[in-house]
Amino acid sequence: MTAPAVSISHLRKVYRRGTVAVDDLSMTIAPGDFFGFLGPNGAGKSTTIHCITGIARPTSGKIEIFGIDAVKDYREARRLVGLSPQEFNVDTFAKVTQIIDWMGGYFGLRAPERKARVEMLIDRFELRPHAKKQFRELSGGLKRRVILARALVHDPKLLILDEPTAGVDVELRRDLWRYLQELNRDGKTILLTSHYLEEVERLCRTISIINGGRIVREGPKAEFLASGDLEAAYLAATGAEPDHISGAA
Amino acid sequence: MRIHGDQDLGAPMAPMSINWVGLGTMIRRELSRLMRVPTQAFVAPWISALMFIFVFGFVVGSRIKLIEGQRYISFVLPGILMMNVVNAAFLQSSSQIYFQRFLRYIEEALVAPFSYVEMIVGLLAMTVVRCVITAIGILIIGTAFGATSISGLPEFIFWIVLVSTIFGFLGVIVGLWANNFEQLTMPVIFFITPLSFVGGVFNTVHMLPEWLRWIAWANPFFYFINGVRHSMIGFTEAPEWLGASITVGLATLLAAVVWQLFSRGYGLRE
Repeated sequence: MTAPAVSISHLRKVYRRGTVAVDDLSMTIAPGDFFGFLGPNGAGKSTTIHCITGIARPTSGKIEIFGIDAVKDYREARRLVGLSPQEFNVDTFAKVTQIIDWMGGYFGLRAPERKARVEMLIDRFELRPHAKKQFRELSGGLKRRVILARALVHDPKLLILDEPTAGVDVELRRDLWRYLQELNRDGKTILLTSHYLEEVERLCRTISIINGGRIVREGPKAEFLASGDLEAAYLAATGAEPDHISGAA
Repeated sequence: MRIHGDQDLGAPMAPMSINWVGLGTMIRRELSRLMRVPTQAFVAPWISALMFIFVFGFVVGSRIKLIEGQRYISFVLPGILMMNVVNAAFLQSSSQIYFQRFLRYIEEALVAPFSYVEMIVGLLAMTVVRCVITAIGILIIGTAFGATSISGLPEFIFWIVLVSTIFGFLGVIVGLWANNFEQLTMPVIFFITPLSFVGGVFNTVHMLPEWLRWIAWANPFFYFINGVRHSMIGFTEAPEWLGASITVGLATLLAAVVWQLFSRGYGLRE
């Protein structure tokens, strides 16, 4: 039997100052799935992702990546994961090529294969004219592409995208959607968080909604859409009243 | 075009294997960062040493009598060299980890398959390289101007590597702890500079009043400076084994502290 791409059981994360960010969270992502992870700001999405990738230490619970324990066998587990974070965690003075190349090196890719991967990703994400520019010189959309290329340099089986299209224009967003669909077709499992419900509705096959650190609804996209649109299902799951939201606007 | 390559990049890694490519990349990356500021990193300490040679060798030195049979500049220069090594080691490692935390690109290493030991070695390697380059540069300048000599090169390298490792570890601890630039510079102002000045850079222990000599004997800087001075001009005020033991002990203690901090994720992981 194939192990799930991600298996989280009873994950709990309490920060040093006592904030409970994630509380008894369990979820499973099937290999090859395009998984949408939704929730309001502060619901625990990024914390869950940080626990999966090693940026945060889980307080308790178990996380497995393709059957490998992400805490005990963290080095093995991390080789399987690529992360495109919500915030740009980059040396802003480094050049585009360096950023992707260094990450490849961190994951143990030797020079010839690393060079081939970097060149391929630079072309794939149309970064060639910007390859020698420093990260700080790029527009927001180009920065997003660099971050995505960096996440893919070691050809991970699981790609985690934390709000990958935040702050990018419509054209680039559609380009990125196309890239992501292509990646998923090629067999990559994708975990996507986004505040754009249209994006999740268009790309994902399975959706999970988190609120207050707990999963409040999970299932195939079709189930969410059966009773109306995704927005209505989302608002119902998170306890927000549609009228209240429109009134606030 | 597919995003996948044809290579099997997901091949399993042996559990205890060392991520040599990753380590090499860390060092290469830090070298690249350092080469953005070569004047600050390398040229500044060499110019500083040149100024000391000029002042203590030619201006003031000629009016000071021999110290334990040594010219004053020959006596002082090893201490000047060690002060530069200490400062370079501390600034290199503390700023390296602080900026990685500040700009959050430490996360690039956290999500990669590195062990804690590999991360620590990666952080320290460039510190040691920078300090060895700094020290050899000062040694060459000193020798060229007839201000010093070298009586034991392996001993000299031993002291430079060990002392830069100690202050590299201290820099890592402070870099993990600091939340602003003020905190980052505090140890230099209140700890490193004062202790190095009373550690025998400019005087022998016997030149101090008797009631003050314990400060020198209790000050680890005294042993660092004394050790490197012995390797350069062959003059020592303390048994070699004592200085080496204290220094190795201190390096081991700090290595254990840094390893503990990394394994707990202090200042690194949320």
